Amino acid sequence: MNLIPLALYAAALVAYAWHFAQRNTMVGRTATTLLIFAALTHTFVIGMQTMEVGHVPIAGTTSAISTFVWLLALAYLYIELTTDERAMGVFILPLLVALQIIPAMNPSVEARSDVLQGPLFGIHVSSLLFAYASFALACVIGITYVLLFKEIKAKHLGFFYARLPSLQVLDRMNQVAIVIGWIFLTVGLIVGVVWAAQVRGYAGADPRVQAMSLQDPKIFGALVCWVLYSFELFAARRIGWGGRRAAYLSAFGFAIVLLNFVPISYFLTKSHNF
Amino acid sequence: MRLLIVGLSHQTAPVELRERVDFQARGVSEALRSLASRGSTREAAVVSTCNRAELIVACDDAAATRDELTRFFGDFNHVAASDVAPHLYDLVDLDAVRHLFRVASGLDSLVVGEPQILGQVKDAHAVATETKTVGPVLNRLFHSSFAVGKRVRTETAVGSGAVSVSFAAVSLARKIFGDLGGRSVAVIGAGEMGKLTALHMKSQGVEHVTIVSRTMAHAARTAEAIGGASAAPWDDMDTVLGASDIVITATGAASPVLTKAHVEAVMRRRRNRPLFIIDIALPRDVEAEAGEIEQVFLYNIDDLQATVRENLARRASEVARAEAIVREEVDKFGAWLRSRGAIPTVVALRQRFEDIRRAELERLEFKLSSLPPDARARVDEITHLIVEKLLLTPTEQLKALGDADASVSYTEALTRLFGLGESEGGTNVEPFTRGKTRNR
Repeated sequence: MNLIPLALYAAALVAYAWHFAQRNTMVGRTATTLLIFAALTHTFVIGMQTMEVGHVPIAGTTSAISTFVWLLALAYLYIELTTDERAMGVFILPLLVALQIIPAMNPSVEARSDVLQGPLFGIHVSSLLFAYASFALACVIGITYVLLFKEIKAKHLGFFYARLPSLQVLDRMNQVAIVIGWIFLTVGLIVGVVWAAQVRGYAGADPRVQAMSLQDPKIFGALVCWVLYSFELFAARRIGWGGRRAAYLSAFGFAIVLLNFVPISYFLTKSHNF
Repeated sequence: MRLLIVGLSHQTAPVELRERVDFQARGVSEALRSLASRGSTREAAVVSTCNRAELIVACDDAAATRDELTRFFGDFNHVAASDVAPHLYDLVDLDAVRHLFRVASGLDSLVVGEPQILGQVKDAHAVATETKTVGPVLNRLFHSSFAVGKRVRTETAVGSGAVSVSFAAVSLARKIFGDLGGRSVAVIGAGEMGKLTALHMKSQGVEHVTIVSRTMAHAARTAEAIGGASAAPWDDMDTVLGASDIVITATGAASPVLTKAHVEAVMRRRRNRPLFIIDIALPRDVEAEAGEIEQVFLYNIDDLQATVRENLARRASEVARAEAIVREEVDKFGAWLRSRGAIPTVVALRQRFEDIRRAELERLEFKLSSLPPDARARVDEITHLIVEKLLLTPTEQLKALGDADASVSYTEALTRLFGLGESEGGTNVEPFTRGKTRNR
C-alpha cells in the first residue's frame, strides 16, 4: 500500500526538480499539488494500517520510517505554504522518496511486541520522529545555505543565487528547525529512559529490554545527536557559530540521525529491533 | 479593421529628436483627443516613454491612416514633418501585434528585459481607456500584451539579475540579509560616490546610514545632504563598523583603510554577524584578503561590474526563449483577429438564411393560415431550428480558420455562392489579412 504514496512522492520530486530548473509557476503549483496528494494518500495508508493493527504503526523500524516520511512531508508542506518558498522541495523530496522505498518494499505492518505498551512508548517514538523530521529540514536548509554562501563568496552569482531565499532567512529557518528538533529530541530521550525503567518491571527478561543501556549503538547514537545539536544551539548563540558553521553542523547531525535511524536500527541495535 | 503602429524609439531616433517628440509634454489624453478629432482612426492609444513614442491605432484604411499619423507626429509636437518622418517606423496588423508584445516584454528596450516598460504600456492603456479611445480590438491587444509581458518575465530569465552596479549591490545585500528594513549602513568617505550609494541604499529601505570621514565637517555635511543620516568621526570607526550590516568604502586614500586584521577584530566584536563590504573606491580601500574571513562578503567595484556583465549576458541568452513566447502569443492573437475578420461574413450569411426562411414562410402563408396558432408557432420554430443547424458547422469552421489566405478565399467563396455582396445594405466582408496595406 505504501507504493502509491511512493509513486506520488516520486512524481512530486520530478515536478519540483523541473520547477527548480525552469522556475515555471505552473510546474511549481503542480509539484505542490502532487506532494499534497502524496501526503493525503500517505495519511490514508497510515490510517488503514492503524485500523488494521489497532495502533499507530510506529512500533517497528519499517513502519516508523513510513511515519517519519509522512511527518517530514507534512512539516515541509507547512514551511512551503507559510513561507511561499518552493526552492527547498527539490532537496527534501529525494530524501522522502529514498526512505519511502523501504516501507514500500516491506508492505506488511509488524505486529506490535507485547513489550511495547503504555502511553510513554507512544510519546517516546512520536517525539523522536518529529525531532528527526525537524533535523531533516534543518539539514536541507543547511545544505542550501552552504550552496548560496559559496556562490556569494566566490562572486559567481548564478544558479542558486537566482533561486534560493536570502542567507539570513535560511540561517533563521535552520535555527528554528534545530530548536524545535532539539526540544522533541530531549523529550523523546527522557521519556524513553523513564519508559525503559518501567518496562524492566514487567518484561525484564526480554533480551531487548536488557540491552537498553548506553552500550547499545542506537541509544548511544541518539545521545551523540543530542550532544551535537546542543552544541550547535550553544555555539550559534554564544560563540558566533551561526551561518555556514551551523549549516554544516545541521547537515552532519542529520547524517548521524539517518545512520542511527536506518542502518543501525536494522543491523546493529540489540535494544530497538522490535 | 486594421491594426497600425507608427512610432519612433531609441533604435530609430536620436535623443534630441525623442526629447522633442514627447506626447507627455502636452499630455497623452490631449494627444488622443486631438487624434480622434482627425477621424481617421477607430481606436487609438499612445505609448510615450523617454525611449519611445508610438501611436497604436485600429483603423479601416492602413495606408491613409499611416500618412495621417505621420503628419500628426509633426503637428502635435510642433516639429517639422520632414524632421520626424525619416525616423518613424510603421507596422501593420500582426507585425504591429508582435511589436507591442515585444515592447511589453522588454525585448525592444534599451536594457533588454527592464521591467518598467510593462508598467508604461499599462499606463498607456489606462489613459486611453479613460479618454475612451480604445475599443474591443485595442483592449484585447493591450490585455494580451500584459499577459505576454508577464509570461516572458516569469518563464524566462530575460528580466533577471541587476544590470547596474548600484542595483547589483542592493540585490546582493538582499540575498545576504533578506529584507533591508532595519539594517544599518556605514559609508566611509564623504565624497560624491559614497553619498550617491548611501542615497540609493536609503531609497531601498535601510533604516540607518552613518557617514564616517577623516574630516568630521565633511561627514556632517554629507549626512545632512542625505537626510536622516548621522555622521561619526574617524576615531569611532570601529564602533560604527560593529553596529553596521553593510559598509560602503569610498575614500580617496592611496592605501587600504581597512586591513584584514582590522576587519577580523571588527568581526569578533560583531560576534560573527554577517558583514557586507562594498568597496567602490579606486584604488581599493579594503584589503582583498579581508574577503576570506568567514561571514565577511567583500565586493569591489570590479566584482560588481562583473556580475552586471554576467547578468546582461544571461539576459541576452534568454532572448530566444522570450521571442518564442512572443511568436506563440502573436499566433493566438492572429487567430482571434481572423475569427473577428470572419464576423461580417458570418453575420451576412445568417441574415441571408433568415431572409430566405421568412420569405418562404410568407410565400406559404395561404397554406399555413388554416393551421391553429400553436401549430403555426411550431412550424416557425422548426424552420428556425433547421436554419440554425445548417449554419452551425460553417460558422464554427469559419471562425476557426487558421490561415489568412484560406480565410480570404473562404469568405470570397461564401460571398459569391450565397450572393452575400448583393444583399441589401452591401455588407462589408473584408477579412483580416496579414501584411501590407490592401485596398479593394
